[in-house]
Amino acid sequence: MKVKINISIFLLSIIFLTACSTTVKRIDASDQVDLSGAWNDTDSQLVAKNMIKDALSANWITNFRKKAGKNPTVIIGTVKNLSHEHINTNTFVENMQREMINSGEVQFVASAGQRSQIREERGDQDINATEATRKKMGDELGADYMLQGQINTIIDVEGRKQVRYYQVNLKLISIKDNRIVWVGEKKIKKYIKNSTLRE
Amino acid sequence: MKNLFVVVLIILLTGCASYQRKNNQIAQTLYKSPPKAVLKILQGTEPLKRDIAQYHLNVGILQFKIGNFSAAITALELAKKEMAALQAISISENAAAATVNETYRAYSGYPTDLIMVHNILALSYLFNNDIGGARVEILQAQVAMRKLAKGRALIGQLASTHLISGIIYELLGEQSNALISYRKADVILIDNKLPTPMGLKQALLRMSYIVDKKSQYAIYKKRFPDIPTPNKNTKSKIFVLYFDAVVDHKAEFSLLVPSPNDDQLIRIAMPRYPKTNTTISHGIIKVNKQQLTTQLIDNLNLSVRKDLSQIYPSILLMTTSRAVIKDTLVKKANEKDDLLGIVFNVATFISEVADLRSWNMLPANIQFAYMETNEPTVSLGRKNVPSEKVEIKKGTDNVLLLNSLTSSIFHYQQ
Repeated sequence: MKVKINISIFLLSIIFLTACSTTVKRIDASDQVDLSGAWNDTDSQLVAKNMIKDALSANWITNFRKKAGKNPTVIIGTVKNLSHEHINTNTFVENMQREMINSGEVQFVASAGQRSQIREERGDQDINATEATRKKMGDELGADYMLQGQINTIIDVEGRKQVRYYQVNLKLISIKDNRIVWVGEKKIKKYIKNSTLRE
Repeated sequence: MKNLFVVVLIILLTGCASYQRKNNQIAQTLYKSPPKAVLKILQGTEPLKRDIAQYHLNVGILQFKIGNFSAAITALELAKKEMAALQAISISENAAAATVNETYRAYSGYPTDLIMVHNILALSYLFNNDIGGARVEILQAQVAMRKLAKGRALIGQLASTHLISGIIYELLGEQSNALISYRKADVILIDNKLPTPMGLKQALLRMSYIVDKKSQYAIYKKRFPDIPTPNKNTKSKIFVLYFDAVVDHKAEFSLLVPSPNDDQLIRIAMPRYPKTNTTISHGIIKVNKQQLTTQLIDNLNLSVRKDLSQIYPSILLMTTSRAVIKDTLVKKANEKDDLLGIVFNVATFISEVADLRSWNMLPANIQFAYMETNEPTVSLGRKNVPSEKVEIKKGTDNVLLLNSLTSSIFHYQQ
C-alpha cells in the first residue's frame, strides 16, 4: 500500500513538473493571439490595412490623378507613440508602407533615414562604378504627400478589470502647400480581465 | 527519517531569513561603496525565485545609479512585468505563509515600489535620450496611482511622480498636461503637510500663466506673491532632481511567549522600520553668485512606512493565526514522541521570521530645484563636497540628476 502511494506521488510530481516546462509551438504569423491585452502585431496589421484602404478610397487620389496625370508619390513621416505602452511604431509604419505599395495606387519613396544610406551609395558609385552602371545624383523622385500620425490610448482601470481604448490618427499632408488632404481614424477597444489566481 | 527531514527544513528556512538580512546589508554598503561595486556583490547572490522581483528592482536602480540606462530599463521592465503577474493570488504561497512564514509569498512590490519603478524607468528613458519612452512611463505611473488611490488615502501617491510627469510634459510642449501634473504634485504635498518647494511654485505659475492666465494663474499668484511673473525669454531652463541617501530597510521585531500550557515557547516575529535620525542633505546649484538649494518633494522613508502600516493589521492577524497552527502542530508531534515534539518546537520557532524584503536601494528622499539662466555653465554639488561644472547650451531645456552617494551627474538637454 505504502509503495503504491509513493509511486502515485512520484508520477504526480512528474506530471506537475512537465506542466512547468517551457513549450514552443510554431503558429501562423496571421493567427490572432492576445496574451496581455497590449498592442500587438494583430492590431498593427489590422489598423494599417483598414486605414490605408480608407486612404486609398478617398477623393484626394483621384483629384491628384486628374490634375497631374500620374499616381501620387507618398512618403511616411513620423507616427508618434502617445500611448501608455512602449509600441514599436516602426512595425506599424512598415505595415502601412506594405499596404500602400502593394495596392499599386501610389508610388512610394524611401524615408529620410533610408535616403541618406542610398545617397552615400550613390556617392560611392560616383567614384567606383563604371559609367554605364553609375546612378547619378539629383534624379530622386520627390514625394507629393507625407503621411503622419499618432497612436493615443485611454485606459480605465478598476481592480483587475481594464478597458484599453486605442485611437490611431493619420493625416496625409501635401508637401507642396501643407494642405491636409485626408484624415483617417481607427479605434480599438479592449476589455481585459486579469486572473485573480495564479500558480 | 522524519527528524532528518525537519532538520533539513530548519537549515533551509534559516537560509531564507539570512538572505533577507544579507540583502539589507548589501543595500547599506551603498553608503561606503560605489554602486558598481554594490551591483557586483548583488549579482553574485542567488535570489530565490519568489524574490526575483526585488532582485530586478535592485539591479535596475543600481544600473541607473551607474548611468547604464539601457541595462536599468531591461532590469526594471522585468521587475515591472514580474510584479504585475504577481498581483494575482497564489493559493500555495498563501498556504505556506499561513503555516511557515510570510517570506513564502512571492515579492510583488509595495505601493511605493509599484510607482517608483515608473519614476526610475521614466528617468532612465529620458537620460537615454528617449523622451517618448519616458512619456509612456509617466502615463503608466498615472494609471498605477489611480489604481492604488483609495479616497483621500495617500498610499502609492507620490508627488515626485507628478513632478517628473510635469517636467516631461513641459519638455514636450504639452503645457496643459504639465500644469495638471504640477497641480497634482502640489495637492499631494499639501495632503502630506509638506511645504511646496520653490521649483514647484515656479512651475505652477509658469504653466498657469500660459494655460489659464485669468483664473488659475491669479489663484497661484495670490498663493505665491513673492515669485515674479513669468516672462517669455531665451534663457536656458534647468530642472534639477536630487536623490538623497538610501531608503530605510525593515528590521525584525520578535517576541517569545510561552504557550497556554507553558510546555513550549511560541515565537512571534513582525517586520518594522526602526526609528532613524537620518539627516537630509541637499543638492546645491551655483551660477555666478546665485546659489540654489534643492528642496524636498518626496520622503520615501515616510512612504515605505505608510505602506507597511497599511498592511500591518493583516500581517499581525496572519502571525497570530500561524502561532496557533504551529502550536497545534507541535502538540500533535509531542503526543507521538517527546523528541519529535522538541524538534518540531525548534523548527517552528526558527521558521518564524518576519518578511524584511523591500526595494531597499531606493533613495531616502527626492528633492527638486528649478532655475533659468543665460550662463554657459552651472556648478552642481552638495555641502562639503566639491562641485562639478555642467555645460549648458544657450536656450536649451535641461534635466540634471544629482545623487548624494555618487559624484556622477546625469544630464538631458534638448
